[in-house]
Amino acid sequence: MDNHILVNLQNVTFTYEGDVVALSNLNLTVKKGEFVVVLGANGAGKSTLCYLISGIVPHIYGGRRRGDVQVSDIDPWDEPLYDTAQRCGLLMQDPEVQLFMPTIKAELAFGPANLGVARDEIAQRTKAALELVRLSGLEERNPRDLSGGQKQRAALASVLTMKPQILVLDEPTSQLDPLGRWEVGEAIEDLKHKGDLAIIMTTHETEEILHLADQVLVLDRGNTVLQGTPAQVFSQVEQLDNAGIKTPAMIRAQIKFFSVPISVKTPPQLKTNLTVTELADQIEAAVKDEKLKVNLSLSQNQPQPHKPSSITESILEARGLTVTFPGPPTVTALQNVQLTIHQGEFIGIIGQNGSGKSTLVKSFVGLLRPQKGEVLFKGQSIHNLSVGEIARRIGLVLQNPDYQLFTSSCRDEVRFGLKNLGIPDAEIPQLIEESLGLVGLKAEADLFPFRLSFGDRRKLAVAATIALNPEVLIMDEPTTAQDHRGRYQLADLALELHEEKGSTIIMITHDVDLIARYAQRLIVLHAGQILLDGPAEEVFIQIEELKKSFVIPPFATQLAMHLESLGIPPTIMTLEQLFNYFSFLPEAE
Amino acid sequence: MQPVFRYTHLDTPIHRLHPLVKLAYVALTLVLVMYPIRPTDMPVLLIWLGLSAILWSVARIELRRFATLFKILLGTFLFLIIIQGFTYRFGHTPLITFGHLRLWEADLGIITKEGVWFGIVLSVRVLAAASSLPLFVMTTSTSEIMTAMDKLRIPNTATFMFVSALSFTTLIFEMWGSIVEAQKLRAFDIDRMNIFQRAFKAYIPIITPLILLLFRKANDFQIAMETKGFGAPIKPTEIEVLSVHWSDYLWLAFIVAVFILCTIVKFF
Repeated sequence: MDNHILVNLQNVTFTYEGDVVALSNLNLTVKKGEFVVVLGANGAGKSTLCYLISGIVPHIYGGRRRGDVQVSDIDPWDEPLYDTAQRCGLLMQDPEVQLFMPTIKAELAFGPANLGVARDEIAQRTKAALELVRLSGLEERNPRDLSGGQKQRAALASVLTMKPQILVLDEPTSQLDPLGRWEVGEAIEDLKHKGDLAIIMTTHETEEILHLADQVLVLDRGNTVLQGTPAQVFSQVEQLDNAGIKTPAMIRAQIKFFSVPISVKTPPQLKTNLTVTELADQIEAAVKDEKLKVNLSLSQNQPQPHKPSSITESILEARGLTVTFPGPPTVTALQNVQLTIHQGEFIGIIGQNGSGKSTLVKSFVGLLRPQKGEVLFKGQSIHNLSVGEIARRIGLVLQNPDYQLFTSSCRDEVRFGLKNLGIPDAEIPQLIEESLGLVGLKAEADLFPFRLSFGDRRKLAVAATIALNPEVLIMDEPTTAQDHRGRYQLADLALELHEEKGSTIIMITHDVDLIARYAQRLIVLHAGQILLDGPAEEVFIQIEELKKSFVIPPFATQLAMHLESLGIPPTIMTLEQLFNYFSFLPEAE
Repeated sequence: MQPVFRYTHLDTPIHRLHPLVKLAYVALTLVLVMYPIRPTDMPVLLIWLGLSAILWSVARIELRRFATLFKILLGTFLFLIIIQGFTYRFGHTPLITFGHLRLWEADLGIITKEGVWFGIVLSVRVLAAASSLPLFVMTTSTSEIMTAMDKLRIPNTATFMFVSALSFTTLIFEMWGSIVEAQKLRAFDIDRMNIFQRAFKAYIPIITPLILLLFRKANDFQIAMETKGFGAPIKPTEIEVLSVHWSDYLWLAFIVAVFILCTIVKFF
């Protein structure tokens, strides 16, 4: 094997027990210092690839493999896991399960200590790893007391103390908020620039890796769909769409504005490391050179997806809501929150983890009792309503569907809530069919819920909630750990309920591009208080306020703000809206 | 939400104490509570509880944690007091009379004063036993526990099983709360059910997802451990160097002295 090639997969096919083909004829070569990004929808085979390289299969998950796998001169299939672990480190999605020692120092020492590394050497590795992930000084802290981003960085540091040559990152930022994603992204970027490791990372967040990736591999149900440089791969918008991958907005904008030729064989002139300012400058130059034309009149006839809803009566109201959790230390999760939600609104709630978003919606459904203030549903205190009465009125779909699924079929899962409410038996089958039909799971009605994909389990949780026909539907971070396609399916479902049934929708998310498309009103929470509240397009231009909560406006809004000199309004939230302000040359269309 | 009895990193004499001394305290507690129990044992148990109180307070453990322990055990205490109240065979002074139902030497229709007292003594014995292990867990880091176990020649795997079980209790605690909340959202309120409803049907919607989630977490946990070399046929490096100080001998002498005092009070 070439000295610099650290991972070499040739014609690899992997089948799990039960004949589920997870990867098919995969070829991948990764050199030292290279950063490879693996993209794919949920179930595409990304995690299986990580497990194959890091030796998790076959040592923990069984299956059959064909083809050759070489990881730093060994085949993980033939070597014990502790041997592969010294060459290839694995960082998983969930930091909670990777941190099990009482202090960060002990956590980082755990791996090398298992391998009998000398105590002094362990101390040196610990110090270096903590410096790299910027957690120096927190050695004695309990990992459970850290923020999400800090936890994942601590988990990364604990992998680095094993001194691997290859680092495999399996969706390391999928469960983090924007700040956490930025923190982990910085640490990964530092590792990439040091150039000592070969890094393989799976993700759904194409925007985050655009400027880092040397090679991109796109998987779809185990098959390689695209493979090449970021410019080559991201120029294939249609194929990416088919595979459920989000084309980065920066790339979509370049393709549209500069009519970049699209071909994998001829490297396109896409730039993957442009900043928004640089792109705006190029657009302004193109307008000046008359290669592009701004046509403000064209925009007049375009649909406006964010019409403010007409004022209707209040459906939910928070009056001076204060919620604290006993410590130590005592945490004030919500502080004197005043909020009125009107019937038929589609509201987005954004903010950092710990800003009070989940506490607020749990207070809405009576799961938490405030120390001060009250929650009113149509003027009636929520605490005067029974659990069943609340469930009929307000449906809350929690982040993790697996906390509620327990029956042997999807049908029974939906039936459970209906039975609890005392709905007559004769009416139940129809309600089950309707709700499963709405989420697209009619055909899976008799399947065991845990045989569904994560995305479908989440849809099942939604079905179980909407079957109760609540007037308000709250979705708590439906985009977390969800692929691009799945995110929009859930948001579309919420929109359908909103438009057809007049349901009031409240959606908590970190995905600003998504919420910009759907929400009429946006609430930004920060440190237990409402930082901003208003029409989405007005909230997203409050850049300085948003910074307090580490929220970055949608790409289109950022670009529009830079193009104000051309007469483009800054309140634009989607690229489609922005494109409507320009006339393109015929060949560019 | 955080578990109440988790390790807290503090610099107190009890935190600095050699883990084997703390283990000796746990072991002596178990020996003491295994002594045959008599209604006159209250002074012995109170002396030992006094020792525990000293250790808890020197370790600067908040009172609320002890209150939580008491709350957890409250049901057991009530059960012991009521059962002994009705069934204690040496009970002869009626406290409350419901009727007469003789069964061997006891009258099950009467709550006796002696029975209630014996129930209280048993409850204090349970409290004395239950207060020792949390003190050990809350003041001893995992690395120290592992090193101490190694000194006792307990296999590394067994030690790690104990330590990871401690870590898993945190997860179980958090998951239980989340599952109860998730089912409440579907109008299933376990908190409002009586003990019979809970026993017969309520736990299925809670325990089934809990078990399924635990399997999944256990898999991830196994991956996290094994990709960090756990199970390698190599003697692990001892991260904590446990050295014995004069203060360890003093504390050990103090604990043993209290134990001897309790034994003397009990038997002589």
